[in-house]
Amino acid sequence: MKWFNIIRDRLRALRQRETVINEIDREMRSHVELQVEANIRAGMSPREAREHAMRTFGNVNRAVDAAYDVKGGGFFETLLQDIRYGARMLAKHRAFTIIAVITLALGIGANTAIFSVVNELLLRPLPFRDADRIVMLWEVNPEGRHQNSASRANYRAWRAQTSSYQYLAAFSYQRYNLTGNGEPEELSVQFATPDLFKVLGVDPLLGRTFLPEDDGDGKPPVAVLSYALWQRRFGGQPSIVGQPITLNGVKYTVIGVMPSNFQFHMKQRSGTGRPPDLWSILPMPLDSNERGRFLATVARLKDNVTVEHADAELRTIAARLADEFPQFNKNFSAEVLPLREQFFGNVRRPLWLMLGAVGFVLLIACANVANLLLSLATTREKEIAVRAALGARRGRIVRQLLTESILLALFGSVLGLFFAWLGIKALVAISPRDLVSLQTVGLNVTVLLWTLGVSLLTGIIFGLAPAFHISRLNLNDSLKEGGKSEAGQATGSRRLRNALVVSEIALAVVLLASAGLLIRSFIRLQQVDRGFQTDNILTMVVRLPESYKEDPQVIGFFSQALEKVRQLPTVRSAGIINFLPLYGGMGSSTGFKILGQPEPPTGEGPGCDVRVVDADYFPTMGIPLLRGRNFSRAELREPKHVILINEALARTYFSGTEPIGQRLDVLMFDTPQPAEIIGVVGNVRYDSLIDESPPAVYFPHPDLTYSFMTLVIRTDGDPTAIAPAVQREIRTLDPNQPVSDVRTMNQVMSEWVSRSRFNTLLLGLFAGLATLLSAVGIFGVMNYSVALRTREIGLRLAVGAQPRQVLLLVLRQGLLLTIVGVVLGLAAAFALTRLLASLLFGIGAVDTTTFTTISILLVIVSLLACYLPARRAMRIDPLRALRYE
Amino acid sequence: MMPTISRYRPLKEIYVAKNKADLLQGTLDMLILRALSLGELHGYGVIQRIRQLSDEMLNVEQGSLYPALYRIEQKGWVSARWDVHDTGREAKFYKLTRTGRKQLETEEASWDRLVLAIAKVRQAT
Repeated sequence: MKWFNIIRDRLRALRQRETVINEIDREMRSHVELQVEANIRAGMSPREAREHAMRTFGNVNRAVDAAYDVKGGGFFETLLQDIRYGARMLAKHRAFTIIAVITLALGIGANTAIFSVVNELLLRPLPFRDADRIVMLWEVNPEGRHQNSASRANYRAWRAQTSSYQYLAAFSYQRYNLTGNGEPEELSVQFATPDLFKVLGVDPLLGRTFLPEDDGDGKPPVAVLSYALWQRRFGGQPSIVGQPITLNGVKYTVIGVMPSNFQFHMKQRSGTGRPPDLWSILPMPLDSNERGRFLATVARLKDNVTVEHADAELRTIAARLADEFPQFNKNFSAEVLPLREQFFGNVRRPLWLMLGAVGFVLLIACANVANLLLSLATTREKEIAVRAALGARRGRIVRQLLTESILLALFGSVLGLFFAWLGIKALVAISPRDLVSLQTVGLNVTVLLWTLGVSLLTGIIFGLAPAFHISRLNLNDSLKEGGKSEAGQATGSRRLRNALVVSEIALAVVLLASAGLLIRSFIRLQQVDRGFQTDNILTMVVRLPESYKEDPQVIGFFSQALEKVRQLPTVRSAGIINFLPLYGGMGSSTGFKILGQPEPPTGEGPGCDVRVVDADYFPTMGIPLLRGRNFSRAELREPKHVILINEALARTYFSGTEPIGQRLDVLMFDTPQPAEIIGVVGNVRYDSLIDESPPAVYFPHPDLTYSFMTLVIRTDGDPTAIAPAVQREIRTLDPNQPVSDVRTMNQVMSEWVSRSRFNTLLLGLFAGLATLLSAVGIFGVMNYSVALRTREIGLRLAVGAQPRQVLLLVLRQGLLLTIVGVVLGLAAAFALTRLLASLLFGIGAVDTTTFTTISILLVIVSLLACYLPARRAMRIDPLRALRYE
Repeated sequence: MMPTISRYRPLKEIYVAKNKADLLQGTLDMLILRALSLGELHGYGVIQRIRQLSDEMLNVEQGSLYPALYRIEQKGWVSARWDVHDTGREAKFYKLTRTGRKQLETEEASWDRLVLAIAKVRQAT
């Protein structure tokens, strides 16, 4: 109430200054009149009465002023005055203003840009109803791998046995070809059980979503379109609802269209990272694939159930299932994960780290500007002393100086917003593909409020120390000396300035150390022996529809396609594989038995990755054949039950014995199908550059026929040039057959390391900025110190000091500050780089090489920054310096 | 502090001293509230009322009165309106609000405690 009244009065005073003053005046006047009347009643003559009344009242103007102050006119008027005065001051010291505003803008801009990403990914609610009630259910495999897909049987068991969820739905991704009206196109399809949209709590834009009746054998297939597909492919026609479309040669009825802001996408589940174009019902037949693990599960918690409770319940059920069906579930567990964790769990830590890093940059910027203000303040000592002498209280002076610094910060934030806008564009452009929904990051109200808050705070942070320092100055000294002089410079001021520079350097050390660690990890990642070559290789995915019913049709299509591609100019070799190395999705793996060896207990046998290839895949990718032979032409035409194994499998299971000629039963088939090992090839890192290659077997395509394969084509020169010709050849084989994911192998690699590169790039950028700013800081301090010591240095030179000695004097001072800063920074880095550990590869969080390198780098940078002031000191003319002042 | 409030050291002194001691500011507020507790008054009337009540010992200056009145008004302890005085002149009248009355009670209570405390200290010596 009180605050409300005060603010109301102040605003009124601001808007209607005259009215407010008039009213006060009127009241004062009425007061005097009352006094006059009383005086007359007491027997004075009218004139006497008035004179007496005026006398007792005292200075009317002063009374009005005092009253007006309370009414609040004072507050805003003072503020406006201070702003006007501050603006004049900033205009007068133009160089200072420009440097300070740019410094602040860099700090504030970087902060705003990173915050806008943090806000989008970590703070803003997900676009689902009560999104915090939505969770993912996963299995945890015996090796402790989290977020493992569930089998249909286990999903059914979960569904039957839990009581934590309102709705539960399973889904999985497929690639289907859309044909009819226009070019054939490969779509990303999310097949889900009917409750998916109830779990997410999202209504369709048009038509309806799934009903229980849509599910079941023999029901006509239905499809819900994404907004993007509806616009792109069907021109946004509302009449599409109820119409049939053709997917993989089967008619589906469109029942609804989702709104434009709806998307439910899990990149790591989807193969190539494309969000779903449409949704259809996931068939759940009770068949041989009941135990295959390929389902993702999403559920909506009941209102009174916590995530912890649901997690405990699911673990109990999983333990029971492991006991009940050990052959399928032994050592498998399960977990419940909040949806936000699912989407952004892996970017949360890097993002907070980045926000911390830009916070450091901003602190450095603040320290710099505080230093600049301190230097500037010395030239204003006299002005401030005069104000104090005229009766300005200390609080008043601090207030005025703070108004100036906040004004500076606001200017900085305006330019900073521009930098942030550029920064966000750059961030979106270079962000890794799997940082979902970064496209929508922008400057919104929350971000603007954050920026405003940050700039007010910075204004206060960098303004407070100088303001208090100056307001404490000794009036008499300043007035007498009338300006700057080394004697008038309290040691307090020098100490404050030095402390600011030392902390800048320390902060820069922490950032440089972090960036250095990331850069070294990144280089290590690039240098890893991945087992294949990447130059001059083009890859593309061909996914045959179900109309290719028989395996020979599929095998025939791919071998014909390869024949045609090999005849194209510049093509050196061409091969196929089912899951390309580092393509960004999952591969397949299974258990195997070595024939002639005793069978291990169920669930404890050896396992391996399973790949399907043709013979030319190996030379095309530069994978060496270490022993034995490659697949023959006959083995690539029809199943001959032969396999190749990788070195890891040979070394793990056949150390000391000859693997060639041994027979493995790889558990990929309904019935045992032993295959003979005919050769050993080099290890390839398929899933990740970080982990060692696990044992792997390669089947020739006829032995294990996949209807989607990735073509790998090695060319002379630029591989992308051949892409249109390859697509043309495919279309001559089948005009309805699209290709997708056309990428060079270098692009595949670069996408795989994109997140690591993104983090490295950003942190490197911030560290560079920090170093630059602290170099500017140390330059400013040394320059100022030289200016203050002009007379002293002149004297030294006059009594015979060598210029070189003067140079060293200044450099030594700068070096001392730098070393203190570096030591403090290293101590902080030892404590803080641990936070980076999960982002590092091949080195520890405390890396002597990195820390030494960046320390030396900083010392060199700061010596360079000191050199200019030092040279200036060296060239001081003793005569002029002594006459100075 | 009490002795400073005397006929010959007008209350203005106390107003000037407010930055050093909120206590004295509070004292002026309390006097004004007390004056208004007996009925609606204009500024001139407040001064007269305080004079009367203090047997002519306390003379509040206009320059101190109005800022104090405005501040009290902002705090919501009094409400103000323009009206015609019984002599036919217009004047701004102030009236104690409900919160003002409560404030007066608390201030007087703490004042009493202070006086009691000071008296005890003085008796002890």
